Amino acid sequence: MHKGNDHRFVFAVCMFALGFLAAPSRAQQPAKPAKVTHITGLTGVKNKTNGTLGLENGALRFSHDKADVDLAASSLEDVVTGNDSQRLIHGTLGTLTMFAPYGSGRFLSLFRTKLDTLTIKYRDADGGLHGAIFMMGAGTAESLKVDLVAAGAHTSVPTPTNGAAPKGTDIKEHKP
Amino acid sequence: MNRMLEYKVAFALTLSIVSAAPAVRAQEKAPAKMKASAIQVKMIESEEIKLPAEFQVALYEDLIQQLQKKSGFQQVYREGDRTAANAAELVILRSSVRGFKEGSERMRQVTTVAGATSLQVHCEFADKDGKVLLERDISGKVRFFGANLNATNDFAKKAAQLAHDNFSSAPKA
Repeated sequence: MHKGNDHRFVFAVCMFALGFLAAPSRAQQPAKPAKVTHITGLTGVKNKTNGTLGLENGALRFSHDKADVDLAASSLEDVVTGNDSQRLIHGTLGTLTMFAPYGSGRFLSLFRTKLDTLTIKYRDADGGLHGAIFMMGAGTAESLKVDLVAAGAHTSVPTPTNGAAPKGTDIKEHKP
Repeated sequence: MNRMLEYKVAFALTLSIVSAAPAVRAQEKAPAKMKASAIQVKMIESEEIKLPAEFQVALYEDLIQQLQKKSGFQQVYREGDRTAANAAELVILRSSVRGFKEGSERMRQVTTVAGATSLQVHCEFADKDGKVLLERDISGKVRFFGANLNATNDFAKKAAQLAHDNFSSAPKA
């Protein structure tokens, strides 16, 4: 009986250790494609098209109903993130609520969802400069940018690394 | 009696001037179009003004889309496009942002009158040798409805109209 308990304990410890080992390999996997709205810029894709955006085989892939558009990460000259917001009730229904009585449409405008924007610049085969803007849920653009930069994309606004000095450290050092 | 005649003459003169004015103005407004069959759009510059990257890209892309739609140029090239070097009668469009005020979509939707987004862009049309053919300040605005980025589309439409009014692949005789 005691032996059985020992085996179970050893088995549990082994599984726990394996779990820790598996964690880093899961982190190395590319992020799951994010749901985005293509605002403008991608060749052959209409403005305000919904789709997914992710990194696959070293390329930025925008997938939507009709086709997939791939851009090699190394061809991206600049990747910049930003943020924005939109009405919680948007689209056609959102427009209709603007005409709701007693200013209730205006009141609904106060309820908004935060959004991230991902702006990229890239070159086509002839060297022509393109730009594209995507809008996605808050907190997704920065991780995608980090993945893209790791895959060879360039950025004019580098992401601060984890090893960066904490806030206020520089100020103390520069005091006379 | 004489006074009555004077009144009639004055009235007739006024009437003829008023009726002739629009025609004269129309002649003044229609300048001879410059000959150009292709245009190359350079990336929007914003050295003096801190412009968010999405606005810079939206200005550039909207400008290209609007020029393709209605400017009348046979070809619209992007910055860096190597095939533009062989284009005859090429015009190069450089744009730099001179003013930018990012409003608030929420403010516009709640108040209707406040929160407008506006931008002021200096556009310079030059030939291959760098000789400036036309320069103008163009503004883009979103006053009531729509996202802040719609200001770029407003600017692009005006810039394409300016190009349409001043350039043509077949100039007027």
